Amino acid sequence: MAEPLQELGDHIAQSTGDAVTTAYVRLGELMLDARPDRLVALITFLRDDPRCLFKQLIDVCGVDWPEREKRFDVVYNLLSLKNNQRVRIKVATDEATPVPSVASVFSSAGWFEREAYDLYGVWFSDHPDLRRILTDYGFEGHPLRKDFPLTGFVEVRWDDVQKRVVYEPVKLTQEFRRFDFLSPWEGAHQVLPGDEKAPAPPQEQAKTS
Amino acid sequence: MGVITPAKPDPVTEAALSRALNDELADKGFVVAQLDKLITWARTGSMWGLTFGLACCGVEMIHCWMSRYDLDRFGFAPMPSPRSADVMIVAGTLTNKMAPALRKVYDQMAEPRYVISMGSCANGGGYYHYSYSVVRGCDRIIPVDVYVPGCPPTAEALLYGVLQLQKKVRRTGTLVR
Amino acid sequence: MSDVEIKTLTMNFGPQHPAAHGVLRLVVEMDGEIVERCDPHIGLLHRGTEKLIEYKSYLQAVPYFDRLDYVSPMNQEHAYALAVEKLLGITVPERGQYIRVLFAEITRILNHLLNVTTFAMDTGALTPPLWGFEQRELLMEYYEGVSGSRMHAAYFRPGGVHQDLPEGMLDSMDAWIKQFYPFMKDIEKLLNDNRIFRQRTVDIGVVSPEQALDWGFSGPLIRASGIPWDLRKSQPYDVYERMDFDIPLGKTGDCFARYLVRIEEMYQSARIMEQCVAALRTVSGPVRVDDRKISPPRRGEMKDSMEALIHHFKLYTEGYKVPAGETYTAVEAPKGEFGVYLVSDGTNKPYRCKIRAPGFPHLAALDMMTRGHQLADMSANIGSLDIVFGEIDR
Repeated sequence: MAEPLQELGDHIAQSTGDAVTTAYVRLGELMLDARPDRLVALITFLRDDPRCLFKQLIDVCGVDWPEREKRFDVVYNLLSLKNNQRVRIKVATDEATPVPSVASVFSSAGWFEREAYDLYGVWFSDHPDLRRILTDYGFEGHPLRKDFPLTGFVEVRWDDVQKRVVYEPVKLTQEFRRFDFLSPWEGAHQVLPGDEKAPAPPQEQAKTS
Repeated sequence: MGVITPAKPDPVTEAALSRALNDELADKGFVVAQLDKLITWARTGSMWGLTFGLACCGVEMIHCWMSRYDLDRFGFAPMPSPRSADVMIVAGTLTNKMAPALRKVYDQMAEPRYVISMGSCANGGGYYHYSYSVVRGCDRIIPVDVYVPGCPPTAEALLYGVLQLQKKVRRTGTLVR
Repeated sequence: MSDVEIKTLTMNFGPQHPAAHGVLRLVVEMDGEIVERCDPHIGLLHRGTEKLIEYKSYLQAVPYFDRLDYVSPMNQEHAYALAVEKLLGITVPERGQYIRVLFAEITRILNHLLNVTTFAMDTGALTPPLWGFEQRELLMEYYEGVSGSRMHAAYFRPGGVHQDLPEGMLDSMDAWIKQFYPFMKDIEKLLNDNRIFRQRTVDIGVVSPEQALDWGFSGPLIRASGIPWDLRKSQPYDVYERMDFDIPLGKTGDCFARYLVRIEEMYQSARIMEQCVAALRTVSGPVRVDDRKISPPRRGEMKDSMEALIHHFKLYTEGYKVPAGETYTAVEAPKGEFGVYLVSDGTNKPYRCKIRAPGFPHLAALDMMTRGHQLADMSANIGSLDIVFGEIDR
């Protein structure tokens, strides 16, 4: 069942030259790792080639892998209605390198790329209108990055003296409780107050006899 | 034990009351009543609600206004404009981006104005309490009179909340708020 | 005669507006009454769902999906459950699949009822919502009977559904379906040939098939533009292959075509419901997968058996570990293609869960659809796009 998908992946990899680095099939889904600088050509090929005909851009999103050097994965999901097939293209980038925008190929990419920029900080070159879309108007930071805390840095409240909504540093009445279940024998990473282990007694000098 | 059963309105007494009222009017041409009771009767009998539906609770709020749990029969008409509304029902999650707009709409309402916070997101941040973009309770932005818990509160619960607000108005009703 | 310079008026169609269908802030540039450009500002309901999901186990993440498209909650859960099941490599037992399809179609009717009636309300008809919402209440009684909650059910979980249907629900559904067809005829009598409704919806917001493909449309919007595409037929999931139903197709791609497509979809959903109810009378068995490493034991069993207690404890604290991998799974939600792109790193928490909401590209196309129309047509366009901010902003 995966052969026709793998063949399609190989066909795409061959026809686009060096745009696709790897084409593989996992769980019945075709995935292509692509080079960012040849992205627009690849997407255009996928849209127009008679064997592909991926006429709809379904989704553009980002994934953050902070351990990697190129920490962001920008993932494009495409759908071909005529051939009833889906394909996924992944492009790796980091915080400073822009990815070419595919808004010229698919109009729906406009907002999806704005969202990826807003939530991850991935820059898209040649985007018609790259600005924040989901987060607050003066929001600083990119929330979905793994190093951005869940509760953020600022919160709002109405100040009766200044007669406006003010932004203050976050003060939670109860911390978000993260239970670490993955290392049951080593115990949780957060130590409850009062549970700190006593320091080890000083080592006695080894007697030389 | 601990369950409060509301006193059932007695049809005999009510009929007698309205008959007495009609007789008084027919006889003297005017009725005498306590001013604050009259004012609270007028205020609670026709509290127009500002439909501030933000998220899922908004759907339950709409259900409360529709045929089954008709809020309109309590005089609680839906009024989209804040200028002519008495009660603001904050239904749904309030985000940081929406907070200034909420306060602006609240400021546009004329006194006496009341606020019902509907749903756990509006009460205290709710399911999204720990999120970076959610206001932990709309009472950080506006003063709230009645909190209706639930996620979402059933339309019946919102109806109960509205009746509680009427009771509160009767209890604390003054000319100057 | 000298040239007259006309400046466009920038107007704020604010976040609090009865016709904005939730929190939508539209900045419209108008030349008199004609809309030149409109710029939707979204994010006023951005609650950080995707970030919160990364901090919860797979089972704890299920209720977030209910709250996305809150007028059709179970379809979102369906997509998530299918995505997790794909990564886990399990299949739901047959009875569970039939229940899922039944409730997915109930949810489709719930959604279309709200959309069609509030769309009519936006154009001025005040009776359809009053009638339609009583039908919604009757359907929400089924939600309540099966899960305990009228709206956010957390009923479809990875592995199946949470519990079986209560006694008597199938008969009640038969009775409901019987009275649904005359009710729909009433609604159609009110709106289909109504001169005012037609004037407000015909030739408004016309979308050609090429534009629909380019802008990522899906669901009733793409079918109203003439492209026959329905995920229930082309990439069927659960027992949709065994269901006998038709896909309505529009010709003109305007608001009226979208309305008609939704009305007809409601009839087809009722047809699917009939078939599911008939099947559920004969198909018996478990409603969730038997694997105790994924599906928690029943409560009574948990109080008796030690293994069941341990399974219960482990599943509700740590949760099940999903093998590393990624998947994009989509279902035909009432609004369009609702997809979940799930990346797992082998632990008990999702690594990344991207929610592809159908309303997101639809709203992006609002600018294209409303150019040259009047301001009043803006609310007709928004209504026919079926926008719900829970899923757009997440």
